[in-house]
Amino acid sequence: MFGYVRPRIDRLAAEELDAYRAAYCGLCRALGKEYGFPARFLVNYDMTFLYLLRASVFTPPEPRKCWCPARVCGKKPCIPDPEGYRPVAACTVLLCVEKLRDDVRDKGFFRSLPARLLTLVYRRAWRKACGALPAFAALTRTQLSRLGELEQAQSPSIDAVADTFARIVAGCAADLEDPALRRPMEQLLYQTGRFLYLADALDDLREDCEDDAYNPLRFRFAPKESELEPEILEYLTQLTDASVNLAGAALALLPLCAYGALLENIVYLGLPAVFAAVKAHKFQARAGLPRLMSKRGAPNAERRDT
Amino acid sequence: MKDPYEVLGVSRTATDSEIKTAYRELVKKYHPDNYSNNPLADLASEKMKEINEAYDAITRARSGQSGYQSGNSQGTYQGAYQSGYQSYGSYRDSNSSGSYAQVRSYINANQLDAAESLLNTAANRDAEWYYLKGSIAYRRGWLDEARQNYQAACAMMPGNYEYQNALRTVQGGYTPYRQSNYQGSGMDTACDICNALLCLNCLCGGGGCR
Repeated sequence: MFGYVRPRIDRLAAEELDAYRAAYCGLCRALGKEYGFPARFLVNYDMTFLYLLRASVFTPPEPRKCWCPARVCGKKPCIPDPEGYRPVAACTVLLCVEKLRDDVRDKGFFRSLPARLLTLVYRRAWRKACGALPAFAALTRTQLSRLGELEQAQSPSIDAVADTFARIVAGCAADLEDPALRRPMEQLLYQTGRFLYLADALDDLREDCEDDAYNPLRFRFAPKESELEPEILEYLTQLTDASVNLAGAALALLPLCAYGALLENIVYLGLPAVFAAVKAHKFQARAGLPRLMSKRGAPNAERRDT
Repeated sequence: MKDPYEVLGVSRTATDSEIKTAYRELVKKYHPDNYSNNPLADLASEKMKEINEAYDAITRARSGQSGYQSGNSQGTYQGAYQSGYQSYGSYRDSNSSGSYAQVRSYINANQLDAAESLLNTAANRDAEWYYLKGSIAYRRGWLDEARQNYQAACAMMPGNYEYQNALRTVQGGYTPYRQSNYQGSGMDTACDICNALLCLNCLCGGGGCR
C-alpha cells in the first residue's frame, strides 16, 4: 500500500507510540498466521490504522509479547488478533495484491517484473483472502474495473476517480452489522481512501506526466511542465483538509474503547503532515517525516520512553 | 440508560467544575456546526442528546445531595444545542419552493439518488439549484464537485449566509473542535498564549471573572 496514513510521532505520548507499534506488530502477526510467512511483508501503516480502528471499536485485548522474525532475540509487545480483526488481514492481502496487479498493468514488462513475481508469490494468500471476504473481493473487482473505464476515458473528474478507491477502502467496514458503528466507520474510511488516492495522484504526478500515463490531476488541472501552480496546490490542500474534517467528524462518532488520542493524531495531524510532505516532493524520500519503524521492520529504533 | 459519568468520560469522584469542563468539551465536539449537511448529522444529534441527558442526570443527582443549583444553566445548553440541529430544517422550509423543498427533504433523508433525479428535472438553474447540487455532492464525499457548485451558488447570490457557510466547509475551513484541539504544525506557542488570554478576557466579559 502507500504508507500515507500514519501518526505524527512528535505529537504522540510514549504509550500511544507503543500502542501504535503493538498494533503494527499485531497486524504483521495476524497476516503471518492466516496467510503464511510472506504475507508478513504486506504489513503497512495504512492498514495498521484500520487494525487500530477495529481494535479500539471492539474491546481491545491486552497487548502481549509475541515472537518477531525481524528481531534476533526476545519478544515484542503486540495487540493480538481475536476473531473480530481477521477481516483486516484479509483486506490487507486483497488490497496489496490488487496494488501489485495495478503495477503490472501500468508499468512496462521489465519494470513490472518484481510486481509480476510478487503477484505469483501471493497468489495462494489472495485466493484465501477472496474466500474469507467474498463480498469485499467482488466490490474490489467492480470498483477497479470502474476505475479502469474512467482511466481509459481519461476522466477529468477527480471525485469520480477517487470515489472508486474510496469505496474499496470503505468496504473494509461493510461486515459491521450495527449501523451506528458501520456508518461512521464507512464515512471515515471513505474519506481516508479519498485522501490516499489524491495524495498518491499528486505524488505520482511528475512521473505520470513524463510517462504520459493517466493521472486525474493532469486532466483536471492541466499542469505546466509536470508541476501544479501554487494556487492549485492550495486548492488541493483545502480539498484534502475538508476530507480530514469529515473523517474527524466520523471518528468522533465511533464508540472508541481505547486509542482515541492516537487515532485523532493520525487523522488530524498525520494526514495533513503527509500531504504537506507530498506537496513538497519530500514524501518519497521520507524527508521531513519521522520514521515509525526501524529499517529491519522492528519498531524499536526510536523508543522515546527509554 | 448508559452510566452518565461514562458518557461524559469523567470519574464519579470528579468535581462539579471538572464535569462542566468535560461537558463543554463534548458539546464543542458534537456541535451542529461540525455536522452541518453531514450524512452523519442524525448520529451526532443523538450523541448530543445523550450528553445533555447525562449532564442533566449528574447535576440533578448532585444538586439533590449537595444543594448545588445548576438546573437552569444546563437547561439553556440543551435548548440551544437541540434547536441548533433543527434550525437548518426550519430555515430551509421557509425559503424553498415546492420541488426544492422536496429535494432538501430527500437530502436530509440521505436519499441522494432521488434528490439528484428530481433536481435534474428543474428547468431553471438558479443559485438554489447549484447549492442543492453541491449539497448532494458533499454528502457523497465528492468535494471537488461540491465546491464548484457552492462557488456557483455564492457567485449568483453573494449575500446568502447558508451558501457561504457551505462553501466554507468544503474549503477545509473552520471546525471548532479541530481548531481548538489540533492546531496544525508550526503554530507559534506565543500566539497560542495570546489567543488563550484574549479568549479568557472575552469569557470574563473584559473585566474580572464573576
